[in-house]
Amino acid sequence: MEIKAKLKDGITTVKAMAKHPMLTYDTAKKQGVEANFITHITATVNDKVVLDMSTSQFLSKNPIFKFSFKGAAAGDKIVMTWVDLLGATETSESVIK
Amino acid sequence: MERRKFLGFGIFAAAAALVPGTLSAEDYRKTKPAVWAAHTIEDAIAKMYGTSTTIEQGVTLTAPDVAANGGAVPVDFSSDIAAKSVAVFQSSNPEAAVCAMTLNENSVIDFSIKMKLKQSGTIVVVVEGKDGKLYSAKKTLSVALGGCEG
Repeated sequence: MEIKAKLKDGITTVKAMAKHPMLTYDTAKKQGVEANFITHITATVNDKVVLDMSTSQFLSKNPIFKFSFKGAAAGDKIVMTWVDLLGATETSESVIK
Repeated sequence: MERRKFLGFGIFAAAAALVPGTLSAEDYRKTKPAVWAAHTIEDAIAKMYGTSTTIEQGVTLTAPDVAANGGAVPVDFSSDIAAKSVAVFQSSNPEAAVCAMTLNENSVIDFSIKMKLKQSGTIVVVVEGKDGKLYSAKKTLSVALGGCEG
């Protein structure tokens, strides 16, 4: 997962991209493979949850998303994790600039 | 038997260790599985919040009028409402739910996501206020090229 986090006026804005095919049930059926997509994404800073998102198959392939939160400082580490339908998980981290 | 007990304890310990990290996190896919199987926006909102009555104000939703590529339609939404959660639904795909976010005191409602839309339809963003009311914004758009075909 690629993460860019920037702090401005007390609000941290994070742009992230998860690498995932996000196969819907329809597409998977056509291709004869098992549907698989990211089902949950979390982000934490200093062990505090800053993003908690349940997702469905309708996010785009390699989904890009942006979110914001308060209460972090420049230099803090942001840790993001996704889990997909088949149970695979990936964790990435970045530093807030 | 000893080994089995040991493994069982290991799983329990791992689960316990995960709890502090998740804190207030709620996995809507586990707690509300019916939401993700609902086919219409109204149905999905009703399954999520218990009612499909929303107040259409206080939420800003930006999406293109015509999406050239249904595979990645940019959708931005923001709000100043003190809220517990935000959810996004659409009417273009077989199921209605796209994503649901649980908010806490650090959250700012200012999101951008990219979603797949199979055909023209309506996007609805619902913000669940701390006052227990549901606020929403709606956008109808047409899709030139559907995005669910792979």
